[in-house]
Amino acid sequence: MDKQTETTKVAWQPGMSRREFIKTTSGLAVAAGAGWGMFGQAPAFAQERELHILEWSSFVKPADVETDRQAAEFGKQEGIKVRVEHINANDLNARATAAVESGAGPDLIRLLGNQPHVYAKGLIDHGDLIQEVGGETIWPSLRDGVNVNGVYRGVPYFFGGGAYVYRRDLFDEAKVGPPQTWDQFMDVGKKVKDLGYPIGQSLGHSFGDPPGFCYTLLWSFGGSLIDKNAKVSIDSQATRDSIKYLAEFWKSACDESGLAWDDTSNNRAFLGETISCTLNGASIYFVAKQNWEKKQDPFVKQLDHFLSPEGPAGRFHTISGQNSCIMTHSKVQSAAKNYIRFIHKEENFEKFFVINNGYIIGVVPKWREHDLWSRDPALTPYRDLGTYGQHIGYPGPYDRRSQEVFAKYIIVDLYARAVKGESPDSVIKWAESELKNIYS
Amino acid sequence: MEIRVGETYFQRLIIFYIPLFMFLVAMLFPFYWMLITSIKPDAELYNVRSIPFLVKEPTLEHWKFLFQETLFGRWALNTLWIATATTVVSLICGVCAAYALSRLRFFGSTTIGVSIFVTYLVPPTLLFIPLSQVIANFPLFNLYDTPWSLILTYPTLLVPFSTWLLMGYFKTIPKELEECARIDGASRIQAMIRIVLPLAAPGILSAAIFSFTLAWNEFLYALVFLSSPLQKTIPVGVVSELIKGDVFFWGALMAGALFGSVPVAIVYSFFVEHYVSGIAGAVKG
Repeated sequence: MDKQTETTKVAWQPGMSRREFIKTTSGLAVAAGAGWGMFGQAPAFAQERELHILEWSSFVKPADVETDRQAAEFGKQEGIKVRVEHINANDLNARATAAVESGAGPDLIRLLGNQPHVYAKGLIDHGDLIQEVGGETIWPSLRDGVNVNGVYRGVPYFFGGGAYVYRRDLFDEAKVGPPQTWDQFMDVGKKVKDLGYPIGQSLGHSFGDPPGFCYTLLWSFGGSLIDKNAKVSIDSQATRDSIKYLAEFWKSACDESGLAWDDTSNNRAFLGETISCTLNGASIYFVAKQNWEKKQDPFVKQLDHFLSPEGPAGRFHTISGQNSCIMTHSKVQSAAKNYIRFIHKEENFEKFFVINNGYIIGVVPKWREHDLWSRDPALTPYRDLGTYGQHIGYPGPYDRRSQEVFAKYIIVDLYARAVKGESPDSVIKWAESELKNIYS
Repeated sequence: MEIRVGETYFQRLIIFYIPLFMFLVAMLFPFYWMLITSIKPDAELYNVRSIPFLVKEPTLEHWKFLFQETLFGRWALNTLWIATATTVVSLICGVCAAYALSRLRFFGSTTIGVSIFVTYLVPPTLLFIPLSQVIANFPLFNLYDTPWSLILTYPTLLVPFSTWLLMGYFKTIPKELEECARIDGASRIQAMIRIVLPLAAPGILSAAIFSFTLAWNEFLYALVFLSSPLQKTIPVGVVSELIKGDVFFWGALMAGALFGSVPVAIVYSFFVEHYVSGIAGAVKG
């Protein structure tokens, strides 16, 4: 080294400079990760047999635990490793799309509603399993969700829906009881709103409560988006009557901020004690029991449920099934079919059903007779959802077009625009053009 | 309080310090809100009559739930490793591409440069389907459900922007500096590493910060390419475990969001001084 280079050497400083720290840690991180990432996963040709199941993450945590336990038990019997993955329900579509288009990923996906119609090309024929699970005794709305042009692309596992949760103490204070008809609901709503605890209903863009309310309102007044031949039928006197009803109900009985709510907002509002009643699955009840009962708060003891009110055309609920669907790319289709048989065995499904404590219902009517419904009277109304339940394509077909209508929130926007002041003729005209674009 | 000549204390207060304070409040409020929510018990969270900006009975139950009942610690390590490795890969590719496009003359360089930038305009949500096919069918090694599925796909989003950014920096560095080095015997690569890269440090830092932040926060590809709970990253893991149907575990969600923001904030605070001084002390003559 010559003198010039020596004189340019910087005097040694104690400690490590930022640059040296970054260089060292980056180098170590890359080296460690290279070893971990490259050799942490076996080469494709050396991996053992595995059944990969993808489903939603249930807010009833013991239900997920039971699902995992049953999967492990099945795996031991079948001699196969079973892996259950739980994700947010909103993300199932992205995963299913990737799996179908790439021909890789989970072997069995628990698709919601009529998603089997959307992903039919990536699903096998489940005709034999449908007969074993119940065949024609399965609730028709749930069968339609997996029946794609006569081929069953999945097997309904369970279904759920919404009922109205309400505060008995507030209803007593207002001197009202659970309503049976929409007119009675209007009267109830006005009185509880005068007390300062209105009805809470979301009319925002989320897939649970808003369409659950809107479809049932329209059907119970005798209206529908399409008729049984898939012809657009939104322009009717029944639709106008339902819009007129809701416009008055919204102003006189509801929390008007519901236009901006999503599926979680009514939960927060109810548990925050700003509303007295809302349409929901049983999640509000479960969260209240989990958190408030611990502090012996009497709040949870005041909670009860009632079914959707009757209109001129009867009582309706929207129901949606969760369907076990085996992918065509699965290399363990036989094991996947046996897994479906296993979870549908009466003793196994009963354990799952009881742990859910009324949040989910079996796909055949016999589960209405289970003594679970008498253990907690507050949950008894959920027992009858199957009787009044219809799918979102009712009275037409439950196909991709009905799913597109649902995904675009056409019925929710119909009512949201009406309560904001737009005339019934105008909103019906708009909805009709949107529906005709889809059903043309 | 510093004031300028001809400026009163009151003017300085109105023109500078009050707007600065308001800006600080607006920028820092989300962190405060996350912190407050993460230490509030559920009963207080749902009590709309309480003052939302204060907490009466702070609790660590949400933090305990996050670290003991979920795999959050593992998710944090996964995210750190993936973001760091992605940043390194993206920078290496971006530097080489930017140098070639800004310094070398070859047939098609303009077209390639424009093409690289145009790929940046393709929304990632369109690419996840073909990329999932690539990942699923990768020869020899199964990339699906490994960190490498992300380390090799994130650069598709990051390299175009990094290249474009660095091209701009390289063009501002006089070629004469490199030519001097080459005359003195340095090879092109030596000139690039010893002359160009140090002078382009602010640009490289900008590209690194952008890459790290995007890789840290990315959700869709992590959701699609990773499935095992042990492999998940913070954005995917937190949403899977802490959002169940219409039930949001707000306390734990905010704890996870706050903890997930900290490394990015550290990265920014680590480099912002260096970055600003690099901008201020621009290449002279």
